Amino acid sequence: MHSRAVQFDEPVSYQRGLELQHRLLKARQADEIPDTVLILQHTPTITLGNRGRDNYLLKTPEEYKTLGIEVFHAERGGDVTYHAPGQWVLYPIIRLGGKGADSHNHLWNLEEIALRTLADFDIEGFRVEGKSGAWTEQGKLAAIGFRLKKWVAFHGMSFNVNLDLSGFQTIVPCGLVGQPVVSMQTILGDACPPMDAVRDRLLANFSEVCKRDLEIFHSNNPPASLL
Amino acid sequence: MSVPQDLFYEKTHEWLRIDDHTATVGITDFAQNQLSDLTFVELPEVGRVVEAGDEVAVLESVKAASDIYAPIAGEIVAVNSALDDAPEMINNSPYEEGWLFKIKFEKEEDVDNLLSAEEYEDLCEE
Repeated sequence: MHSRAVQFDEPVSYQRGLELQHRLLKARQADEIPDTVLILQHTPTITLGNRGRDNYLLKTPEEYKTLGIEVFHAERGGDVTYHAPGQWVLYPIIRLGGKGADSHNHLWNLEEIALRTLADFDIEGFRVEGKSGAWTEQGKLAAIGFRLKKWVAFHGMSFNVNLDLSGFQTIVPCGLVGQPVVSMQTILGDACPPMDAVRDRLLANFSEVCKRDLEIFHSNNPPASLL
Repeated sequence: MSVPQDLFYEKTHEWLRIDDHTATVGITDFAQNQLSDLTFVELPEVGRVVEAGDEVAVLESVKAASDIYAPIAGEIVAVNSALDDAPEMINNSPYEEGWLFKIKFEKEEDVDNLLSAEEYEDLCEE
């Protein structure tokens, strides 16, 4: 069976994204659906991972409210991060470790998708030993955090294209003090590609790295399991 | 990938070493590799009675969190508390020092539902 991708054109709230993921996770565990990747943008949200500490939040709850930023404690691994329109979030709800087991682990695969996508737009990205994600000379561009339940992965990766980076100033991203966060726009300026072009490369690279053929759906005409 | 022949396995990548009515449980070499370097382990309470399939532990690496399930019904009679300070033992020695917990089980026939090393290897094969 083909794996599926569902792409969302309008920003999705973090809560709605969570609900979708949980529904797909259950269905995937029960083998009712194939591996499914959501690709979407979130409305402005700060999320803390399982071990994420509140002292990485630099504002008070009231201040975040004023800024229009929601704050969530997420059940994923990884530390604190920021999501907003202009950043693609990739949520692969895929079964790991069965027949045809992935030879690299999921973390490596997600990093590889980010690095290949950067290379597609002539940006040199790299891994940093001991720190996950995708990095450039100017700073960190993609962040990763996921969880496995019954060996189905959910949560995933965020990849900065042209979002307003000021939201990152209100946190200590990934608990890494003094590490700049950048977007493709930071590096390419006016030559930054449109969101759609980056999305298409992220999905193509997912397909190649994770060796899964993708049937692509739009959120306005989703597969039945997402209705 | 190392798969010791004298152990039993669960398809969710746990292994069991059966000694009389006690099963020592850990995660397989394949599983530790998929999770990468572990940094935190949440183990069950000793004395907890569990059903097969209950969520009993959480393993975390820098970027991943994974739930671990009881592979057999019974009572948790020991946990490997040395992992609190040295979770990397699961990566370095998944089948020995990196064991997670021990379950005292009642039903001999529950062991029949587990996978043999051969069946497990078959499951993980590319």
